Amino acid sequence: MLKRTTWITAMAVLVLAAACANQKGPATKAVADAETALAAFRDDAARLLPDDLSAVDSTLASLKDSLAKGDFKAVVAAAPDLSSRIAALRDATDAKKAEWEAANAAAREQWSVYAADLPKMVEAIQSRVDILGKARRLPRNVSQEAFDSAKSGLDWMTTTWAEANDAFNAGNAVDAAAKAQAVKDKGNEVLGLLGLAPAAS
Amino acid sequence: MASEEKPEVADPTKAAAENPYTQHYVVQKGDTLSKIAREYYGDAMLYPKIFEANRDILSDPNRIKPGQRLRIP
Repeated sequence: MLKRTTWITAMAVLVLAAACANQKGPATKAVADAETALAAFRDDAARLLPDDLSAVDSTLASLKDSLAKGDFKAVVAAAPDLSSRIAALRDATDAKKAEWEAANAAAREQWSVYAADLPKMVEAIQSRVDILGKARRLPRNVSQEAFDSAKSGLDWMTTTWAEANDAFNAGNAVDAAAKAQAVKDKGNEVLGLLGLAPAAS
Repeated sequence: MASEEKPEVADPTKAAAENPYTQHYVVQKGDTLSKIAREYYGDAMLYPKIFEANRDILSDPNRIKPGQRLRIP
């Protein structure tokens, strides 16, 4: 009786070991495939959907941990879901990228208008501020308070315009155009403070 | 018979290069650059700024003509 039980136990261990060995290959391949699939669009996902990428990365890390512990069954069981999530993230990233590229293209067109216009606006304001700064008194339509606000407004415009150029040169036309519009708005305000009629836009 | 003296105006071909944000003033009878400087800058002594900005149409700061369109930098 004892002999028979020992034999059954030994067989069971052998079957289990064989089953485990059978799962190791698919489990290893599943993790490698997931890493390869993710690597193909990781940079875009990190830029456009960082939270979603982080969630998928977390699941992948969990599977790698199971693989390292030899829990191949768990890896194989979880692999299809991870694969689906990676595919969904890839689709979402592609959609977001297309959306971003369309917005960036539109912003690049806007930028060309700003780039032609705003340096002239800044130059005209700078010129008037420099001249009024030398005046023994201000003109009747410009108070000291307005002049001081105009000077600080001009400083802000100069700084923000430089930031807009940096953003554009870094390839972010959307951010650049938003900053440029803010500079234009401030410029119109400053023109008013200095008694200069804003140019028709 | 002397022809009627016409005011000089900025060359229209330069219009494209003009700064659209620069203010302009059309000279009226009795105006001087000092008077215009006092009006726009609060200080008549700053008239050379207007003269320098309009050297293409002014050769003498004491000679401006009604109808001239001056840049006020």
